[in-house]
Amino acid sequence: MKKILAVDDSASMRQMVSFTLKKAGFDVTEAKDGNEALTIAKSNQFDAVISDVNMPGMDGITLIRELRGLPDYKFTPMLMLTTESGMDKKTEGKEAGATGWIVKPFNPEQLLAVMNKVIR
Amino acid sequence: MQPTLNGFHNIKRYIDKHRRMVVAKILPGEFYVTKENELVTTVLGSCISACIWDDIMGIGGMNHFMLPCQNKHSPDAGIDTSYACRYGDWAMEYLINEILKNGGSRSNLRVKIFGGGKILNAMTDIGNGNIQFAKEFLSKEQLSIVAEDIGGPWPRKVFFHPNSGKAQVKKLKSLHNDTIERREKEYMQNIEVEEKSSGDIELF
Repeated sequence: MKKILAVDDSASMRQMVSFTLKKAGFDVTEAKDGNEALTIAKSNQFDAVISDVNMPGMDGITLIRELRGLPDYKFTPMLMLTTESGMDKKTEGKEAGATGWIVKPFNPEQLLAVMNKVIR
Repeated sequence: MQPTLNGFHNIKRYIDKHRRMVVAKILPGEFYVTKENELVTTVLGSCISACIWDDIMGIGGMNHFMLPCQNKHSPDAGIDTSYACRYGDWAMEYLINEILKNGGSRSNLRVKIFGGGKILNAMTDIGNGNIQFAKEFLSKEQLSIVAEDIGGPWPRKVFFHPNSGKAQVKKLKSLHNDTIERREKEYMQNIEVEEKSSGDIELF
């Protein structure tokens, strides 16, 4: 079973992402901000990370940058799931090492299609 | 007039001479966030508005939405993640995220909710569904409601001052025309249409 780390500061967003992925057979671990996610990622290996951008503590772009610096996460697919649709943020995310950019709202089928595409 | 925060150029603003303030007027489906000394206003029928602000920083805003789907909690469906059923989550997420992005802190956020009247004659009690959603969402997010004026047969006009968190609600006792009802019906139909165009995805 593929393991996914889902990061969002909103409990209802975590629930929605988690529910969608679990229903499709993924093993999902949740984190509520970048700091918590980084700690969890260091003690477990994940097949993919999906993260919000604006979060208290460590934001999603910093999280991706930190993770890319770790040998275990050099090639792991990392998707940003965000309300940010501006080019600046997107470019920042790309440079930090994100694999893809999904603008909220997502629909479940789209999220699964993208996840299956990047994770294989 | 001070410029709006990034992303809110499309929101209509006017100067209220009586109040001596800039007022941003939002329509169903819109939201507005500000740091400036200005008001946000909207007219609600069965729709609901959450007024959320950072009590320390004085930054906040208001949304205006309805849930076109009322079967979110049917026992067989589990959690329905369809766009229409989750529409309220997105409306709340966008408002909260914009406040946090502009310097607000989750722990300082306070919330007032308004609307959810039973004014659409031909429909089930959509207003009540909207109220239930807002309360459940806010409790899940551990955000506390400090004031509310919800339900009943009245449309409402709300003014909100994000700098201070003060809100003023006028109940509209007699409806001279069906503008509010018509606007909400159009809005509900638009949500279904939007679903097809949702989700902008880019793989790098």
